Amino acid sequence: MIVKVDNLVKRYGDLTAVDHLSLEVHDGEVFGLLGPNGSGKTTTINCILSLLEYDEGEIELFGQPMTPDAYHIKRDIGIVMQNVAVYNELTVYENIDYFCGLYVRDKNLRKKLVHEAIDFVGLADYAKFYPKKLSGGLLRRLNIACGIAHKPKLIILDEPTVAVDPQSRNKILEGILELNKQGATIIYTSHYMEEVERICSRIMILDKGKAIATGTNSELKAMIATGEKITVESNDLSAEQLAAIRELPNIVSAEYNRPLLVIKSSRGANNLETVLDFIKKEGIQFSRIYSELPTLNDVFLELTGRALRD
Amino acid sequence: MFVHIFRYRLRCLLRDKETFFWTLLFPLLLAVFFHLAFSNLSKAEVFKPINIAVVDDANYQNHHSFKRALEEVSQGDDRLFNLATASRGRCDQLLDNNSIDGYILVENIENINAEKPIRLVVKRSGFNQNIIKSFIDSYLQTESAVKTIIQVNPTKQQQLLNSLDERKQYLTEVSASRAEPDNILNYFYTLIAMACFYGSFLGMREITDIQADISALAARVNTAPVHKLKAFLSSMSASLLIHLTEMLLLLIFLRFVLQVDFGSRTGLVLLTTIIGSLAGVSFGAFISALVKKSEGVKIAVLLGVIMTGCFLAGMMYQNMKYIVSQKAPLLSYLNPVNLLTDAFYCLYYYDSLSRYALNMGILCIFTIFFCLATYSIIRRRRYASL
Repeated sequence: MIVKVDNLVKRYGDLTAVDHLSLEVHDGEVFGLLGPNGSGKTTTINCILSLLEYDEGEIELFGQPMTPDAYHIKRDIGIVMQNVAVYNELTVYENIDYFCGLYVRDKNLRKKLVHEAIDFVGLADYAKFYPKKLSGGLLRRLNIACGIAHKPKLIILDEPTVAVDPQSRNKILEGILELNKQGATIIYTSHYMEEVERICSRIMILDKGKAIATGTNSELKAMIATGEKITVESNDLSAEQLAAIRELPNIVSAEYNRPLLVIKSSRGANNLETVLDFIKKEGIQFSRIYSELPTLNDVFLELTGRALRD
Repeated sequence: MFVHIFRYRLRCLLRDKETFFWTLLFPLLLAVFFHLAFSNLSKAEVFKPINIAVVDDANYQNHHSFKRALEEVSQGDDRLFNLATASRGRCDQLLDNNSIDGYILVENIENINAEKPIRLVVKRSGFNQNIIKSFIDSYLQTESAVKTIIQVNPTKQQQLLNSLDERKQYLTEVSASRAEPDNILNYFYTLIAMACFYGSFLGMREITDIQADISALAARVNTAPVHKLKAFLSSMSASLLIHLTEMLLLLIFLRFVLQVDFGSRTGLVLLTTIIGSLAGVSFGAFISALVKKSEGVKIAVLLGVIMTGCFLAGMMYQNMKYIVSQKAPLLSYLNPVNLLTDAFYCLYYYDSLSRYALNMGILCIFTIFFCLATYSIIRRRRYASL
């Protein structure tokens, strides 16, 4: 077990930011903490890192209690903060070297690690640049390089792709998967469900400081009633036909807001085929029909009654 | 680890142009302004002989004793008057075109009891006119005394004449120092004290970069396996080295370019600067740790405290230092800027070091307090909020 959080409670006055949260992160996992802004993701991370005082609970890292002076534990952790945390007076190379030097004393080893980190995030052409000269995406990459240069066993990335262009975001996500492939355990927090779905092997969904669901991507989707969402674009649908669709097998709900008919079906085979057969039989004209599997947003919506980005 | 952090902190501080300006360039510029402003003030204090004239008529020529007395004080480098002799009409002319401050007219040499045996004619009253009048009054008093004694007891004539040659000074000026008192120096000493306390900007930055609840950068440093005391000491050492170098440059500039006199105790002047720098940097660290607000608020607090201290130490109005020491003596000991200013002045002026030692002792206590209080605040193991 790399990280074990047991019954964590963190209050700010009357507000409970983290409410009896327990989680376990296993060796080699990419563990995602998914939740809207203010759900307690960053607070949980800061408690895990022993930066924040907490009211109740226990936190263990690498099987040992995490404390502010547990330097032997900190040596194996890499942290990429939500806000870019680099020195504006130091170049890209110097920033990475400085933070790497807080973990690695051997100069030759450090030099090698810094060059590897620069290559890894694709900043070789910018090594002598000062942070102010870098674009938002490049700055985020530098932020990541500063956190991972010392090759930690556990890397915690707190929303590392906020305000990053799609190209840089792609590069960052690929990099995280590569780090995981190289043996690092990752904790990744985000409110972007697509990112979490793409890279995380296990996900915890947080809302108002509470864990509302934990599991793999498919396990989470299996927790909700919706198995498939079928959308039909049509201007030619009567109330009788809509009522008939609702009576079809496996159909959970059908809502028609001209021209979109959204049909939610439960798990089961051939749902799209059943709907298509009905449309043909009724002679309903349609311009488009498509089927989608549920997303994590659907999971969040069904569990909390709100969309993830509310 | 210590060297690693120290080296990178040095780089950061050396490349921080804003801090560099406030801690070095600004005091240098201010010193130049002070020099330009106060060099003329010093020149104004040098005594210049007063231009006077005496009406050159029979009364004057026949009044041998007065004529001799007037000529005696109008000779040599330290003369009192630049004396011209001229007719009455010419004297009026000289007075009208401000070539002289006044002229003397001897009216009645026979009767010393006359209302005005020697008259002073001036166009306006002032400092120089008062000096001329004092000279005439003094002469008339002495002349009157001599004549009265001769009339009353003529046998004492010789004794009187001897006593006139042996004037005794019953008050002796005892200087506390071999140095000349110089009020202008206080301005430059407050400037050095201000520069020492501008080191607080460096101290402030060190704390901002080490306290996780102040900046993301500090939060990152806090997650690293580095003891906080070690990180604090190494970064503070870098700040101190930078600031001490800046202070040394300022002292060299003041001493050798602007010719500011620091007295002869160079070693103690350097020691005072080092302690002042330590006090300034640790003060900034203390305020930064204490005030849990944005960097702008911290800078405002620092500037407010330092500039108030400078004002009370006499930077804007030199008499303020003496007003505070008379009206609120405790305040002058609680004001670290004043302690430092006064320490520099003690080194320049006083032969004794007792007052200097008191100032430095109190300043050292302040510095130790700032350091201990800062560490007790930043050593917090976890933060209540980030």
